[in-house]
Amino acid sequence: MGKIARLLFIATIYLFLYVPIIVLIIFSFNTESFPSPWKGFTWRWYEELFQSTHLWKAFSNSLIVALSSTLISVTAGVLLIFYAAQGGRIGKYLFLFYGNLVIPETVLAVSLLAFFGLMSIPLGLTTLVLSHTLLGLGFVVPMVYARFRELDYRLTEASLVLGASSIQTFFKITLPLLSPTLVTTALLVFIISFDDFILSYFCAGSSSQTLSLYILSMIRSGVSPVVNALSTLLLFLSSLLVWIFFSLKIRARIF
Amino acid sequence: MRKEKSSELPFAIGIPALLWQVLFFYLPLLFIVGTSVILLAEDGSFAGLSFKSFGNFLTPVYARVIFFSLLLGISNTVICLVIGYPLAYFLAFTGKKFKNFLLFLLIVPFWTNFLLHVYAWFFVLEREGVVNTLLMRLGVIHEPIHFLNSVFSIMIMMVYYYLPFMVLPIYSSLERFDRRLIEASLDLGATSLETFRKIVLPLTLRGISAGFFLVYIPSFAEFAIPELMGGDKLMFVGNAISHYILGEGTGSLGASFTVISCTVLLLTAGGFYLLLNRLLTPKQRCDG
Repeated sequence: MGKIARLLFIATIYLFLYVPIIVLIIFSFNTESFPSPWKGFTWRWYEELFQSTHLWKAFSNSLIVALSSTLISVTAGVLLIFYAAQGGRIGKYLFLFYGNLVIPETVLAVSLLAFFGLMSIPLGLTTLVLSHTLLGLGFVVPMVYARFRELDYRLTEASLVLGASSIQTFFKITLPLLSPTLVTTALLVFIISFDDFILSYFCAGSSSQTLSLYILSMIRSGVSPVVNALSTLLLFLSSLLVWIFFSLKIRARIF
Repeated sequence: MRKEKSSELPFAIGIPALLWQVLFFYLPLLFIVGTSVILLAEDGSFAGLSFKSFGNFLTPVYARVIFFSLLLGISNTVICLVIGYPLAYFLAFTGKKFKNFLLFLLIVPFWTNFLLHVYAWFFVLEREGVVNTLLMRLGVIHEPIHFLNSVFSIMIMMVYYYLPFMVLPIYSSLERFDRRLIEASLDLGATSLETFRKIVLPLTLRGISAGFFLVYIPSFAEFAIPELMGGDKLMFVGNAISHYILGEGTGSLGASFTVISCTVLLLTAGGFYLLLNRLLTPKQRCDG
């Protein structure tokens, strides 16, 4: 009895999670626009989607922002760990990065907006990269530092005793040991930046639309099967990424 | 950069992350706090400090906005915890063969643009959406129910979006949990409820509080879901902030409101942290 109840509970949750997604996907193939019932199968909306120049502009903007903020935050994070590995004490600065978890993104976004205004930094891709890098640092630094602290120090010692310089040791011992964590966090930061809505909403300005803002404008202009087609593709893409993540066997530390 | 000492080079190397964090995170926050209290003269020069703009918010209208946001944040967090803990427990202990697949299914929506989910829920909750069509066909209702633009649709979307934030940290704390402790407790005569209350719950406290804050903090300041699912009818802190900051000439009001709501948020989050610790840490074992 308890077992059945448990399975029912789990099934209900997964239905709750997946019914909207499945309906969304089904309507991306319907010849007629919602709320018309199922009429027939078509690829039309996908073709329309691929012809939209706005979409590709937004998509490439999101890609540029996500890639650059991932690259910057991971590089800066690694440099900080490099400093720590040379005997620098960064423990006392680490609290700085926990702020990202305590301050809601909405508050950060409006503060940045006001700040960019004051500094007369024009809103655009630059401000997006600036702000998304913050999101990235909030994940990269604590996660990589935690892993760094867990590393077996004897390996570093062995390397130093055997005559490697501390810089050699970092690149040949420490960095390779950290690389699974680095890949995980990089992927995570990429996804977070790529899907981010709040920071983009406030810090993008009118010229540089990201994918989230593009979707928002499409949703506001009403239900359209083209959005369904786009959603289906994006869902497929993120399933692919999650699958890669799983098969790399590095998912142990998502949090 | 001075280079006479080789040991100084690494600090210069370590600094970009710190500098970035201070310049673009703490400085803007400080700036918002500053804007909320600094008075500017006509020509933009400094004209003193004033806490007057805070006074504007001591009216029932704004107190209500903050109160509703607290309610939104707390109810969302509690619902996510109540649904999420059993789910995480199931995934960690009972899932077995399907564990990875179920985990995969949980993370996919979590890693997809959240606006798509808002959009997807329109199809379910619309006048002619899935739920209404189904209920009409079954003859349960004769008129479609208005699900959208209500507290109900906001809550559905909030729970839908924030559930993984609760499940994943709890799951990872349960996954690291040594199951032999449960056996030991049961062998020593505790009931399964006692075991859960005194062993499992306290030892997964870290996961619970991580999940709690990952959900509570952003949902308190959430502005997109109420705006898209609530049809602009209900005002929460996030909406008020974005309304003022993006509005013409209301920047200073927006700044004060941001400061006030952040203070409320931090105070309540701190309170919850203490409460969680108090509730879930086992009492002093002095009965032995």
